[in-house]
Amino acid sequence: MKFKSQKIAYWFFAAAMLLLVLQVVYGFIMGFAHMGYDGLHEIIPFNTARAVHTNLLVFWLLLGFMGAAHYIIPEEADRELYWPKLAPIQLITFLLVGVTALVGYHVNWWEGRKFLEIPRPLDYLVVINVLMFVVNIGMTIWKGNRFTTTSIVLYMGLLFAALLYLPGMIAFDNQTMDSFYRWWVVHLWVEGVWELIMGGMLCFLLIKLTGIDREVLEKWLYIIVGLTFLSGILGTGHHYYYIGTPSYWLWIGGIFSALEPLAFLGMAIYAFVIVKKGKRNHPNRIALSWTLGSAIISFVGAGFLGLAHTLPQVNLWTHGTLVTAMHGHLAFWGAYAMINLAMIAYAMPLLTGRKLWDAKSAGIAYWCSNIGMIAMTAAFAVAGITQVNLERRMGLDFLAVQEEIQVHFFGLILAASLFSVGIGAFIYNFWMHGLPNDEALDPSSSL
Amino acid sequence: MLTKSQARTFFVGGTVLFSGLFFALTFDTHRKVPDQTNADQITPAVVAGKKIWEENNCMGCHTLFGEGAYYAPELTKTVDRRGEAWLRVFLKDPEAMYPGRRKMVKYDFSEEDLDNIIAFFDWCGKVDLNGFPADPPLRAKMEGVAASSAAPVKLLPSPVPAIMVTAACTGCHSVAGEGGAAGALIGAPPLDGVHATKSRDELRQWISDPQKIKPGTAMPDLVPAVVSEEQLEEILDYLYSNAETKPAA
Repeated sequence: MKFKSQKIAYWFFAAAMLLLVLQVVYGFIMGFAHMGYDGLHEIIPFNTARAVHTNLLVFWLLLGFMGAAHYIIPEEADRELYWPKLAPIQLITFLLVGVTALVGYHVNWWEGRKFLEIPRPLDYLVVINVLMFVVNIGMTIWKGNRFTTTSIVLYMGLLFAALLYLPGMIAFDNQTMDSFYRWWVVHLWVEGVWELIMGGMLCFLLIKLTGIDREVLEKWLYIIVGLTFLSGILGTGHHYYYIGTPSYWLWIGGIFSALEPLAFLGMAIYAFVIVKKGKRNHPNRIALSWTLGSAIISFVGAGFLGLAHTLPQVNLWTHGTLVTAMHGHLAFWGAYAMINLAMIAYAMPLLTGRKLWDAKSAGIAYWCSNIGMIAMTAAFAVAGITQVNLERRMGLDFLAVQEEIQVHFFGLILAASLFSVGIGAFIYNFWMHGLPNDEALDPSSSL
Repeated sequence: MLTKSQARTFFVGGTVLFSGLFFALTFDTHRKVPDQTNADQITPAVVAGKKIWEENNCMGCHTLFGEGAYYAPELTKTVDRRGEAWLRVFLKDPEAMYPGRRKMVKYDFSEEDLDNIIAFFDWCGKVDLNGFPADPPLRAKMEGVAASSAAPVKLLPSPVPAIMVTAACTGCHSVAGEGGAAGALIGAPPLDGVHATKSRDELRQWISDPQKIKPGTAMPDLVPAVVSEEQLEEILDYLYSNAETKPAA
């Protein structure tokens, strides 16, 4: 690391790791409930577990993005953070708001709108908090010694993500309009501006890990994020097929979401070509594996599996079934979890000065978590497709079908156990790096 | 090959163009949704029902318009499918209706809450969702198979007594050629031939307290909350009205 203030990234990453563990725990609660073992029903009913599981995902990914921004932006702008003291305050308050929301979900305090369950009063605190973050990072770029495309793309992603939180706070009495604007947040985040964040992080990692000329990388970054918006904005239409909005969304959503995999395909090809051309033999091979893995798994999970059920003719049957969970798991893992883990794997040795990239735990983490997640996706796929056929196409009763597919949740839990071993190893590796320290400062480093 | 500034123009231009289109379509959606969703029928009860839906995070288990979680049934057409009477009984004590099965939180809703929830679901069920949820295309074929393999039973006369509809018997059981969509799967037999397999007394005991006879059964406790003693006799009269004619073997 080059600047002292980059050290704060460590604490964002550490908080993210802690929340990731909790997310996995709540995932198990849900998996067991699906299998019929719902012993926690009285304390943690399924809707609580579900809200906690998905909100923790968003929560730790955002912490990861924030940590990445605190690491990347000073380096790209070539200066210390503008307000180094604001960063820890922002982190702590963000955690307080988030944890309050999560506790609230256990006592029936929530908004009951999928992914945006945070109660309204806390929404305002989130807005204020994210404003602190956006201003601090923005001022660092503004007052920086250099403007780079990477930092601008990353910053635009973060800024738009903050702005797009607002439409989710508009109140409607009409369930259809309520849902319509809920997707402005959820869809335009994950299939829009978050891809800018991902693209920015990917570009930074590739510059550092391959030593390829920034001009070439950043040109392609523009093309890829251009493709993201070209397809992703109108691709929002795939959430508007069957919620009471006009039928033209069927073909608009169908066509543009069919184009959505292009951006992810572009990202995967880009990463591979760049790594192949790479001039630098960066010793942190595991960070490179996470980076490439993210590019490829996001194409499979978000691009390909998304396409598999996004056409209106298919979605009519799969809409609202476990097929969505199948796509959701691999998409979030590949695109956003893995890019965060790539960033952490890259940054930790530089923050702490300990080079644990060849440690056994690093390899176990990579392979177990990835194979585990792919197997989980397969379990969801089998359960989901069976559900679609029995319930949606043959017309069998919901609960009867759920009992038929319980066995696939046993498979899911086995796969999730392997995944958890991987996550455990990653956190062990993280822990063994120790704390960030000034001895790791190296103003002349280009790694 | 493309220069960096051309690439930037592609990004900025594309984003502005497609954002513009998206805003225009959003504007048009705002104009059309009131008609498509019967917004004029969003009464205070519907709004109150929506509030209950949100405050209890029903979406954390169920789906509505296909949106939510995948742990509990899709509810868009629930009023059509189950009927108001069934929903009222169910919501008062969900586990009593499905003992030993997947659980739902017992919310202790007031009568007014129930009115509002049902008003909300009723409104949802009438929104034009562009064909969702679709009728299961293979159901007719399945029923064809089931009908050809079973012994023919003389159907009871139509219409069925009103109490059998309000108590939602036909939600699970098929009788007189009506209802019974989910019957075969949750083990609810057709009722037309029941007189041949059970005596009237046995059937009375069964309906009065299903759990006592078969613990864990999905058959709900209906007497006397939904079905009074007199109404039970009315149902039995009807079910045994075919008893003289032997069922075809």
